[in-house]
Parts: sequence; structure tokens; C-alpha cells
Amino acid sequence: MIDEYSGIAPKGDLILLQKLGEKMKNRSFLHINSTRAGGGVAEILQRMIPILVELGIDAKWEVIKGDARFFDITKKIHNALQGNSETITEEMWDYHFEVNRRNAEVYQLDADAVLIHDPQPSPLIEFRKKGQWIWRCHIDVSNPVKEVWNYLIRYCEKYDAAIFSVEKFAQAMVIDQFIVPPSIDPISEKNRELREDEIDETVIKFHIPTDRPILLQVSRFDRFKDPIGVIKAYQIVKKYNDCILVLAGSPASDDPEGELVLSETKEVAGNDPDIYILLLPPFSDKDINALQRIATVILQKSLKEGFGLTVSEAMWKGKPVVGGAAGGIPLQIAHGVRGFLVHSIEGAAFRVRQLLNNPDLARQMGENAKAYVRTNFLITRQIRDYLSLWYCMENEGKNILEL
Amino acid sequence: MEDKEPRNPLGPFEFKECISLVKSTGKKAKTLRELRELVALVGEESIYYHTYQYYLRRQILEYNNDFAHWAGESLEERALSEYFSNVDPFSFKDMDDLRKALLKVIDDYLERFPEPREVMPGNEFYFNEAIILVFPAGLRALNLAEFFIAVKYIDAPSVYYHFYEARVRLRGGSDDFSKWVEDGLDRKDLAAKIRNIDPLMHTLDGVREHLAEMVEEEVKKDMEVMPK
Repeated sequence: MIDEYSGIAPKGDLILLQKLGEKMKNRSFLHINSTRAGGGVAEILQRMIPILVELGIDAKWEVIKGDARFFDITKKIHNALQGNSETITEEMWDYHFEVNRRNAEVYQLDADAVLIHDPQPSPLIEFRKKGQWIWRCHIDVSNPVKEVWNYLIRYCEKYDAAIFSVEKFAQAMVIDQFIVPPSIDPISEKNRELREDEIDETVIKFHIPTDRPILLQVSRFDRFKDPIGVIKAYQIVKKYNDCILVLAGSPASDDPEGELVLSETKEVAGNDPDIYILLLPPFSDKDINALQRIATVILQKSLKEGFGLTVSEAMWKGKPVVGGAAGGIPLQIAHGVRGFLVHSIEGAAFRVRQLLNNPDLARQMGENAKAYVRTNFLITRQIRDYLSLWYCMENEGKNILEL
Repeated sequence: MEDKEPRNPLGPFEFKECISLVKSTGKKAKTLRELRELVALVGEESIYYHTYQYYLRRQILEYNNDFAHWAGESLEERALSEYFSNVDPFSFKDMDDLRKALLKVIDDYLERFPEPREVMPGNEFYFNEAIILVFPAGLRALNLAEFFIAVKYIDAPSVYYHFYEARVRLRGGSDDFSKWVEDGLDRKDLAAKIRNIDPLMHTLDGVREHLAEMVEEEVKKDMEVMPK
């Protein structure tokens, strides 16, 4: 499986993975999260575990089991950590702990390294038997509801280390905190190279004309992704350059506002025949991949964002991206080098026009973007970082380690 | 070429590369005064990360360290950014002198210019440090011709390890490439040319290009024969 990344991922990352695999051979590495399918964490774990096993590591992935009440509580904790006002009562915290206690009875928590993903299974630390325990926080906790964070940190600070995706998400904690950005899988359905006929299939399915430049935004219909702002930017561009706009996404089923945002978006689009609003069902990865590959410019005009990995997915297709300067987007787009960062609808329109009028600039930015994703945001780099972290923790106190 | 390259006393050039595992100190500054307090306070590892190790992450030539980058992009104080960019980390004998130079930039600026505003939330300066893992890059060069080919294929972090990190490791403005060329191949002129590539003025790929050009020229010279 790891051979599939040869020629795609940087050679150095693959060498280091082999080296670290030799160091950690036959040692156990347990990952625990809260869902087997759906969401970026599960997506990456599905690919990562077999790779770790192939490297000779005894890697396992377990999922914490809970009832609707438990997941309702953890959803509230999740929202509160992202800064939304929520109250978690003492009783709710007790239930959160109790479900974890029951899970701890089922799982062997005696691996050499245990990586706990996100807050749902964080109390498992109370049942550690041995090994290095690491808490991996995938969410933006830069501005959490204080009371909720202060409660949760009681568990988190019992770990040996914590990992955050972005430096600004890290908190003042008594344990070591590492920064490991998320990643995309270059050979997954969403990112692999596509044949011409596979791309054509998508183009025909959605009746998208390819005789003019295509602007694309792939995202949920969510206010923070600003689909209406994208249409307004397109309308400005359209006065100067004939083009097509494709907004592709799924209605946010867990967001009561999702339907409203979608209908408002449709209203702003009016009856413009060059705006394509595509509601994609789950498992539309190949279609998203194809749409990104036919696009001339890709937008991610978010007003608020977590890491915003869709930007890296677009960059991986060699496309220039016009992105909102929010969340983790500036970590992916260096303004004027790998795309443009914008702060307004007018800014988005201006940058799209620049790219449409300067195909060489667009091509160069797209190339820079793909090269940057290759060295920074592929799954092989993330696995390399996890293993490196484990290795460093076992060699504590050294700032330079030679393998 | 055999006669021009007698046995290399240093042996083949074994290319290595490195990655950095970033560690947050949990400390952040939202104003220039807070930045000053923390620059004075943080460990040497953090100063090292934001200056020397900046080159491992640098993609564009606009800035020369994280302080210049922050001053330019987040604080939006262009002059301050220029002063920071002018600090050459390789010119100091130890980290403490480098720290003093950074503090002096801030002090001079605060004295001469109006107090800069606070940055937008999320744009604070986050103090980090890094743990470096060094490993073989899987390439070895026995002679200059092989070295030339290898330089074209190594990953950028290998250039960082041998050209930037080596300056701190070896001291005295030297680097692994010029050392091997001089001490191993006895090519003093080429070594001097390599040493003269200014690390502050290039990206890692830029250094690689210059290095490849210089070595290629030398290899070509070796291959030239006068037709009889």
C-alpha cells in the first residue's frame, strides 16, 4: 500500500516512515475516536491504520460506543469548544465519564502508544495501563467556552502530550503541545488522478458546458462558507469575463439553517443559466474530484473556517485558489504565490478576474500550490509526524534525533 | 575523471535530510511590547525556531524570519519588518547575541515610531520550538559528477540540513557541501563559490539551483579535452 505513494509523496517522507517503522516494529499503537465513518478523522484513520500495519507496527483502531444521550452531550461539548454558547451540567459531565468508563472495560488500553482523537473519548486517560498517551484535538479550540474547556482540561492534562492542527488552536497547558496539521490522501477517490472519460462522465451528468472558464466552490451551504458572497463576486466578474459558476455541496443536514441558506443562495442566483448549484449526495468524491479538475479558478470564500482542507484538495489539482483569509486557509495559500487571500466580495471578484486574464499566472500559482500540498499536506506527512512524535516522546529531552 | 579525483579522504557524500516536529510553547504576543517581553523570556530553542529554522519553511523571499513575517503581515509595520529581515542569524556567535539583536530592533522601533496597534485576534505571534529528526536521504555521491546528479534530485529539506543547519553545526560560515568539496575533493575554488551563496537571499530551491549550476560548470570543465 505504501508503494502506491511512491512518486507522489516526497521520497524523504517515505524513507522516514520506513525508518520509524523499523524503530517501532511490532510495538502497539492504538487509535480511538468516536466514529467509524463520516468526517475527516475517520477518513484519514481508514487509510492510516493499514499503512502503519504495513510498516510493521501493531496498529489498531477502536471506536468509542455510546448512546444518543452521550453523543448529544459530546456534540454540545464540541460546539462549546468551538466557541458556541452551551451549558454542560455536572450530570452531563458525569454521563460523559460513565460512558467512557464502560468503554474502558471493553478495550485493552495497554498499547505502547495510545492516540485519543477529540473530546469524546478523552476521559479514557483515567483508565490508562501503560504507554505514551497523546490527546489529538482536531477542532478549533482557540476561543472555547471557558467553563467547558476548564473542565475538559482536567482530562487532557493527564496525557503525556497534546496535538493541535494549528498553532493558534493550542492552549496554555502543563503538558507538551505539538502542532500537526491535517492532511489529504492523494490516492483517495477525491484526490486521485482521473482519466479523461471519468471527468467527461461528471461533465455530462451535470450538463456543465466547458467552452468557458469555470469558477467553482465546493462546500456545504452554510453561512460561514459564504455561497451568496461567491455568487455576488461571480456577478461582478461576469461583467468583464464570460464564465460559469458551479457551487457544489451538500445541504448541511445537521444544521437547521442549511435549507435556508440554500434557498437564499438559489434566490440570489435567480435564473442565470450560467450558475450551476449542484446538490451532491454523500459519496460524490469522484464527481468533486472531476469538478475541481475542470475548474479554471477554485474559490473557498469562507468567513469562518476550521483548517479548511478543501483548499488543499483544490490546490492538489494544480488550481489557483481564491480563499477567504480565515482559519487555516492562510496556512495553505501564501497570498500571491499559491493563490490569493481575500477579505471581501470585491476582493474575490478582483482576484478571479486577475487569474482569468492571466492564464500564465494562474498556471504558475496552480503549480506552486500543488508542490506545496505535496510537501506539507499529504497523509504520508501526517503519519510521519505521528510516528516521529511517538519516537521523540520515547527520547525525551533531545532536540535533535538522528535515525 | 578518475585521475582528477583521487581517493576522497572524507568518503562519499551521504545525503541526509531532516524534518521538524513543531512544539507550541503556549506563549503568544498580540502587541509589539508583548513580543519584546517574550523574546526576552522564551528558551533558545524558540529563538532558533523562529530564525534559523525559518529557512526550512520559507517559500518566498519577502521575509527572513518569523518576526519579520509577523511584523509585515500581522502587525502591518513595514519598516519594522525590514529591520527584522536585516538580522542575519548566521552572523552571531551564539543565541544570546541573536536574542539581543532582536530586542534591539524592537527597542529602537518603539523609540522612533508611534506605538503599533494590537493585531487582530488569531494573528498573534505564537512562540514555537521544534524537535529535528535527521535521517539518510537515500542518496550517496562518490564523485563530483554523482554529486551534481544527486543535488538535482534531493528534497529541499536536504538542502536545509547540509547548507543551513550545517552553518550552526560547523560554525565559521561553512556548510557540508563546501566542506566535502574542499576537504574531500581538494577543490578550493568551487568550495569558496559554494560558501558564497548567500543563505538569506535564496529559497531552498534557489540554493539548489545555484549549487547545481556551479557544480555542473566544474564537471564540464573536467570533461573538456583538446581535440588532437
